[in-house]
Amino acid sequence: MAEIEVALVAVRDIFQDEAGRKSLFSEEYRILSALITLDKQDMAGLAVKDGDKLLVKSEAGSIVVAARASKDDAKEAHPGLAFMCISPWYSQLVPDDGCERISVEATLAPTTASVTAIAEIQARMKS
Amino acid sequence: MQCLHCDLSEQGHRVRLGEGEGEKQMAICTGCSLLCEDIVASFENGSLKHAKNLCRRGHGHFQAALTERTRPLIDGEQVAVDKAIERAAEILKSAKRPLLYGWSHCTQQAQFAGMALAEKLGTTAEVTLDGASSFCEGILMERILAGKISTCTLDDVRNYADTSIFWGSDPSSSHPRHLSRFSYYPRGEKRQRSYEEERTCIAVDVRRSPTAQLCSNYYFRLQSGGDAQFMEAVLAVLDGKIPKVADKKKMIELATILKKTEWGAIFPGPGLIYSLQDKMDLFEQLLARLNEITSFKVVPMLADCNARGFNELLFEKTGHAGSVSIQGGSAAYSAEHSVLAAAKKCDAVLAVGSDPLADLPIGTARALARQPIIAIDPRRSLTTDAAKVVIPSALTGLEAGGTAVRMDGVKINFEPIMKSELLTDEQILVRIMEAI
Repeated sequence: MAEIEVALVAVRDIFQDEAGRKSLFSEEYRILSALITLDKQDMAGLAVKDGDKLLVKSEAGSIVVAARASKDDAKEAHPGLAFMCISPWYSQLVPDDGCERISVEATLAPTTASVTAIAEIQARMKS
Repeated sequence: MQCLHCDLSEQGHRVRLGEGEGEKQMAICTGCSLLCEDIVASFENGSLKHAKNLCRRGHGHFQAALTERTRPLIDGEQVAVDKAIERAAEILKSAKRPLLYGWSHCTQQAQFAGMALAEKLGTTAEVTLDGASSFCEGILMERILAGKISTCTLDDVRNYADTSIFWGSDPSSSHPRHLSRFSYYPRGEKRQRSYEEERTCIAVDVRRSPTAQLCSNYYFRLQSGGDAQFMEAVLAVLDGKIPKVADKKKMIELATILKKTEWGAIFPGPGLIYSLQDKMDLFEQLLARLNEITSFKVVPMLADCNARGFNELLFEKTGHAGSVSIQGGSAAYSAEHSVLAAAKKCDAVLAVGSDPLADLPIGTARALARQPIIAIDPRRSLTTDAAKVVIPSALTGLEAGGTAVRMDGVKINFEPIMKSELLTDEQILVRIMEAI
């Protein structure tokens, strides 16, 4: 199965932020947070389309999120660069050194597993 | 200039309060560090009846007042708030290395109370006091508060700025009214022709963010972590050298804009600060060079409503904007006192005005979750769910009045617009201190 490495950069999104302010535990917030935006070339390399699930692994941990193709055109292509909103899902991938919070090295691979639920993240805290 | 919506005083803006529930009232939005003071809102029968001038983020913030409110809990069981405060005091009193974390959503009054609590606990314990901005915006704030980097108010930006640079920041997503109130669209004292003719907006970022899309021709795309390299290229081209970048023509165009600027402002965000880290001197070097040519100021894009207030408080006490240890009556700064290090050695956690289990790296969050957590929070969060003691508090700005410091250092005073029986963060902290 295809696997690629990316620099995963944390970003903000006004819609995700608003959903989180209403409830961190809502389905709306999960959908907008457990989402990785990839360049079209990387989507093709992984043989995934919008909504397919990806296992994202870093040295700190792993999560399952939904994939989405970037809307940037060819001129703004960014293969090897992926984006996720700042959220408890992104925090699962951040190492403890504090200097890499805005960007982490991650490996992506297609998966059939379900998107990581907030309850699962909470359970990890207790493990 | 007299503010249209409030009485301007030396201490800052103070919003006039309306006359009761259900009526439209002027309000401050504490949804981000812009602290917009022109909000008109009314609540009735448990819902937001009317809202004017709120951005999408602010609207979410106001609606949050009505959902997922916390209850006083000990080990998941509901108790009287007095019991929860008593238990919190017992935990903190018996701790040898308590961590007091958060503060960026609290009023200055609560932050002062937190400092007093830390000092009291510090007589018998090693207390770590830290906030979310200490290893990001705090690094830049420290240099601004020390006078190493020239800054200005957002009102100055509105009145004078003809060039605004959003570097590693995306206000359209993080501070949605930044461009409309201050940096791009408004007609200021010297900028009556505003964005149509007089203002230039530049975005420097790793992605074409919503703000970068507004900046159209003046978006400069960086490689991830490429801020220092870009800065060196700007410095080179300002000195008439050929920059080491692929698009030399565009870089020369940028230098031309910078040189022609009459009054410029740079708004650095986490993207720039995390990328530079120990190369912050390079940023100072760039600013020094720009200020030889023209006038450029810096206003950091602090996220939370009173992150700057906490930075200022710690700086006043220790000369540093975060990561402080208080022991035996004296305060000291060290990276060893950051939340990342303290999480691994602390034996109790007081989380107030933040959700560290959601925001911090998983390893740190897991370490914190192993300790007894006291969470003072108006709303349910990952931290309140894992806390040993939960103490519900009034929402800052909506149910609790006080003072917060806007991202540019202007103090904003506000009064509550919703009636609430809940104690404020400040009142809870004072009561914990009394119980100790």
